[in-house]
Amino acid sequence: MKRIRVPSQLLAARPRATPACPHRAQQLCLSQRRSQSTSSEAAFEEVEETDLDAAPIDPAELSPRYPPLDPLSKQSARYPSPLPSRSLSSAKLAALHARLYLSERVPLQTLGRALVDSTADHNPQFNNTNLAFLGHTLINYHVSEYLMVRYPRLPMTIMYSAIAAYAGPAALHQVARSWGIEAAAVPGGEVDPGLLQFNASEAPVVPTTFGSRRSEADYLEKYKWRRGINSRVIFDNDFGEVVNTKARESNNGTLQPYGTPETRETAETAYANAVRAIIGSVYAHCGREAVKSFIQAHILSRTLDLSSLFAFRTPTIELAKLCAREEFEKPVARLLSETGRKSRTPVFVVGIYSGKDKLGEGAGPSLDAARTKAAMNSLKAWYLYSPGEDVRVPSDMLVEDAPAWEPAHIDIGEVV
Amino acid sequence: MEAQLTNLLRRPATAAVRSCGTCTSLVLPNRTSQQVRQKSTVNRHKRALGVPPHPSFLTSPSKPSSGHIIYNPPSSEPNVLHTPFKFLPKSDPRRKANLPALFASVAPPAEKTPLPPMLPFLPGPNKPKIHHLTPDDVSEIRRLRAEDPVTNSVGNLAKKFGCSHLFIQMCTHAPKEHQEAHKARLAAIRARWGPIRAKAREDRARRKQMLLRGEI
Repeated sequence: MKRIRVPSQLLAARPRATPACPHRAQQLCLSQRRSQSTSSEAAFEEVEETDLDAAPIDPAELSPRYPPLDPLSKQSARYPSPLPSRSLSSAKLAALHARLYLSERVPLQTLGRALVDSTADHNPQFNNTNLAFLGHTLINYHVSEYLMVRYPRLPMTIMYSAIAAYAGPAALHQVARSWGIEAAAVPGGEVDPGLLQFNASEAPVVPTTFGSRRSEADYLEKYKWRRGINSRVIFDNDFGEVVNTKARESNNGTLQPYGTPETRETAETAYANAVRAIIGSVYAHCGREAVKSFIQAHILSRTLDLSSLFAFRTPTIELAKLCAREEFEKPVARLLSETGRKSRTPVFVVGIYSGKDKLGEGAGPSLDAARTKAAMNSLKAWYLYSPGEDVRVPSDMLVEDAPAWEPAHIDIGEVV
Repeated sequence: MEAQLTNLLRRPATAAVRSCGTCTSLVLPNRTSQQVRQKSTVNRHKRALGVPPHPSFLTSPSKPSSGHIIYNPPSSEPNVLHTPFKFLPKSDPRRKANLPALFASVAPPAEKTPLPPMLPFLPGPNKPKIHHLTPDDVSEIRRLRAEDPVTNSVGNLAKKFGCSHLFIQMCTHAPKEHQEAHKARLAAIRARWGPIRAKAREDRARRKQMLLRGEI
């Protein structure tokens, strides 16, 4: 099956038309020659040969490269990313396929395509943009569903940080590194398809499924404006970060030195997008159940200490408000034990009681510090309530003959 | 005099410090002030380091103390992932099961022990919070504070009306000039701090933030 981009057909229909941007026109011509194929290998080869013969070849490209990377390099070096057919002969790609224990149904060509970032190849038929978008949606769905059901009382800010800690670019970058994905120094058609390809001198392309650009986005950085949680829910992306569609200034292919924050961000996003694209391809080829267990095994199985995400401003007041809202008795701090009061390093253990029930306790070097810590621990105990480890999530109902759904606990909201 | 001389010879540094007020022309004996550890002193020091364990850690076979368990290391803070019974929602199976009632027949609850004491500086039953000020009092506080913020300082007003400093600060602001003069005075005081005190203050603020983030 050969799919050709519609814009290139339009260009062919108007041969006299002058392209507005010569760079772009060249890309489109390239896309006419390549074909994204996973099934008919013979037809693909034939098309490749005839097209290459017909197209005018730049003599500079035909001159021998040193060292000769690949027998195909003379032809394939003309493309921004490796041809799909070369994925079959890549040892790295086969090793990655085996290491991730992917199903036979995920072809190597798709896996190779998942490693081509959109900064390396702008053609959406040959880069991983659509697979990464699919994987991004799937990961975020499963992570947020898990957190919602497992920790129903998490405040929204903590929820955002927790989702980012599981599914954010930094976490997925680590996942990609642990999978053994390596990056090519410079992307190109002649490099091994088993290497991740991205262009560090370009702005990263982050898949955005949710949120929109704020009208005041330019001033947020400049004046350090506060973003309230309500506006973050409405305008910002899945991780509560500002959606900034303004592209970074690209310096036209000249390589930036490695190790700047910008190149690091591009690399991190490219690694994360590769993970997302691999998960998207698992979904596309193996289905819902397979991708769910894959995400369970690789994303949700990572350890996250939720209690370390909290930062309070006035914990005692917040706890008093919580007790008033829930109609508990007023919280009272009581001294449980102490040692070395007159020494240089005293320790006080203070418990917070509501009536006769202890809500939490904390130890500190002064009575006030211990009381603050006890109030913080009480609040964390409230916010980190969990119905249990084996609680069912809504997507468990999608399997056949699933038992009847019991409604999950929905909390009335955080303490304001 | 002879006794003083022997004392000087034995403990030269201390004696010099002590007696420098009385005798001004003192010549210290020519000895190295650094202590040299000899073979003869090693045993003594080793013995001094061998601290016997605290009696509460000792168990003698003759007197088996089966009544209590020694926790060594002592118990740590309770885990925040353990939700107190009061915080469980009504729909939670743990609340529905009411485990204390189930186990009451097997292990009856201990006798009612009095609750631990409350913190001394907080309002409690012995020192209840009183809300005795009326809106008229508040407007009076505001008037006085606006009139003469120097005489009617926060402390003076709190003493006069029998309330806390915080309440006065919640009720009223000082005039702008007074605030600025106060800030300038504080800045002058801060400028006089040496590096040690400045660092101590900075560390204190940093410790507070770390405490609120749960890092210490």
